[in-house]
Amino acid sequence: MKNAARIIPCYSADTSGVCSALYELGGLTVVHDASGCNSTYSTHDEPRWYDMRSNIFISALTEMDAIMGNDEKLIADTVSAAKDRKPAFIALCGSPMPMMTGVDFDAVAAEVEARSGIRTFGLHTNGTRSYIEGASEALAAVVREYAEPCGKVRGRVNVLGLTPLDLPLGADKHIREWLASHGFECGCTLAMGDSLESIKKLPSAEVNLLVSEAGRGAAEYLKKEYGIPCICGVPFGNGFADELAERLRSAANGSKPVALSTAEAGQAEVIVIGEGISAMSLAEALRRDLGLNAGAINTQPSEGAASGDVLSCEEDIEAALLELRPKAVVADPLYRYILPAGTRLIEVPHFAFSGRCFQRAMVNLINTDIKEYFK
Amino acid sequence: MIKLAIYGKGGIGKSTCTANLSAALASLGKRVIQIGCDPKADSTINLLRGDPVLPVMDYMRQYDEEPESIEQISKVGYGGVLCIETGGPTPGLGCAGRGIITTFSLLEQLDLFGRYKPDAVLYDVLGDVVCGGFAAPIREGYAEQVLIVTSGEKMALYAANNIWQAVKNFEDRSYAKVRGVILNRRNVEREEEKVRAFTDKAGIEITADIPRSDDIIRYEDMGMTCVEGDPRCEAAGRFLALAKTLIDEDERNG
Repeated sequence: MKNAARIIPCYSADTSGVCSALYELGGLTVVHDASGCNSTYSTHDEPRWYDMRSNIFISALTEMDAIMGNDEKLIADTVSAAKDRKPAFIALCGSPMPMMTGVDFDAVAAEVEARSGIRTFGLHTNGTRSYIEGASEALAAVVREYAEPCGKVRGRVNVLGLTPLDLPLGADKHIREWLASHGFECGCTLAMGDSLESIKKLPSAEVNLLVSEAGRGAAEYLKKEYGIPCICGVPFGNGFADELAERLRSAANGSKPVALSTAEAGQAEVIVIGEGISAMSLAEALRRDLGLNAGAINTQPSEGAASGDVLSCEEDIEAALLELRPKAVVADPLYRYILPAGTRLIEVPHFAFSGRCFQRAMVNLINTDIKEYFK
Repeated sequence: MIKLAIYGKGGIGKSTCTANLSAALASLGKRVIQIGCDPKADSTINLLRGDPVLPVMDYMRQYDEEPESIEQISKVGYGGVLCIETGGPTPGLGCAGRGIITTFSLLEQLDLFGRYKPDAVLYDVLGDVVCGGFAAPIREGYAEQVLIVTSGEKMALYAANNIWQAVKNFEDRSYAKVRGVILNRRNVEREEEKVRAFTDKAGIEITADIPRSDDIIRYEDMGMTCVEGDPRCEAAGRFLALAKTLIDEDERNG
C-alpha cells in the first residue's frame, strides 16, 4: 500500500500527459480506453478543453473487444476518424485494460499508418505512471518524427516541456517575453503556443531550456542528435530569472552547462512541493528574491530528473514534513491536509494535482516580482 | 544474432528441444540466453542439473519489488547458457500472459541484451498463442523466427496448425515468421508423412528430425540435456546439426 494516496489526490497519469503534450500540435490522439474516459484526460486535466479545439478521441474499448483482442476495431475506427479529420499525425496510447491484455501499440500504429498514409506512432502509456512520463514520451516522439537538420540561429532558445499540467496558461507568452528581454530569440515552445512547423526547426537553436521533466525525452534526443545543450529551470521571480538567463547565455556560448544548484529540503524553513524543475526553480527564486532558506521536494521521480529530494508518495511526503517541520510549505492547496500542525501553507495551485479545482487562483510567477505573493 | 521462439502443444517436448538446442549452440562456442515463458518454469531445469533458477514472477512475489540486477533472476547453466524463467502467478489466479509481458519489459529495463551480448536467444513458450502475452516473444525486437515442435500425433499437429495460423495472422506486423517444425518423433505410424502433409500445406520445412530416444529420457532424469550427457548419441547429433544450420544461416545473413 506504499503508493496509495489516502488523503491527498494522486497526480495525473501518463495518458493525461500525452493528451496535454500533443493538444496544440494538430494531430489525432487516440486513447484506447472505455467510453467516457475522455472527461478524465481532457476536461478535468485540460484547461484548454472549452476554448481550443483538439482531436482527442477515446476508442470506446468494450469488455468483449478486450477479451477478443479486437485490434481491428481500434485500427478501423482510427483510420476512419483520420479520414474525417485529416490530422497531421496520429498518436495511439493505452490505458490499464490494454496494458493487461498486452496490446502492441507499435504494431497497431504501423497498421494504421499503412492504411491511412498518415504518420502514426504508438505511445506506451498504461494509466499507472506519472503524467511526466507520458508527456515526455509524446514530446520526444513528435520531435523524433518532425525535427529536421537546419542551420543554427544565433541566440535562439527552445523551451521544452511546456504543458498546462505544470505551468499556467500563458506561461509560453511570459517565457517568450522574458527571453526577448534578455536578448534571446525564442525558438519553439514545446508544446504550448506553437506548431509542428516550429518543431521542424528545433535543431536551429543554440540551447534548450527545460521547464519541466515533460521535456526531458525531447531534450535528450536533441542533445544526442544535434548537440544542443540543455539548461533546466523556470524563470520564476527576478533574481533567479536573471541568473537563468545568464546560464542560457553561457551555454549558448559553448560553456559546459552547470547543473541547477540543488535546493534540497534539508534544513530549509520553506519547502516547495511539486514537479522537480518547477519546485526547485521556485525555491531558488524564494532564496534570491526574499532571502528565504527554501528547499524543494520533487514529487515526480523520472529518469534523469533534476536533483533534489524526490518523494513520490503521500506517506513519505507526510513523514518528511513531520520530520523537517518547515515554517511554511509552498504547494497546491490540497496539500493542506497533510501538513504538520503549525506549518503555514502558501497556495500555488498545480493543475496536474488538483485539476480545475483552483484554476481561477492560478498566478503567473514567471519573470515577475514575487515578493508580494509570498510576503 | 539468432532469435528463436519455440512453440508447440503442451507436453510435446518444447523444453527438451529448446534446452538441447541451447546446449548445442553453447557447445559450438555461442553465447546463449534461454528464456522459459511458461508459468511452470521448467524450461531450463535440464541446463541446470536440476537446480532451478528463481523465476522472475516468483522473485516479485517473494520480495514485493522488481529485481535490480540480472543476476537476481538468472543462473548460468551448461556451456554458459544464461537461464531465465518468467514463471507466473499463483495457479488459477491472475494473468500469466501479462506476466510474460512484464518480465520482458523488466529484462529490457535491465538491459539484458546490451549487458550480456548474446549470440543466440531462445524463447521457450507455453503451449499455444492463447493471448497477447504469449505472442510477446514474437513481437518486433524479440524472436525473429518461430520453430514449432510437433510429432505425427493428431492433436500435436492440430496445435501446430493453430500456432502457424496465429503467427500468420500477424503477417502485416513486423513479427517473427514461422521457420519450420522440429519433428519430435513419438514413433507414430506414417509419422513423417503426416507431418510433411502439414508442412507442405503451410509452406514451411521440417528443420530438424529428432528420433525418439532413451538417451534424452536418461539424461533428463539426471538433470541434463543429452547434448551435455552424451554429445555423440544420435539425438544430440541432430540438435548439434540444427545448431550448426542456424549458426551458418545467421553468419550468412551477417
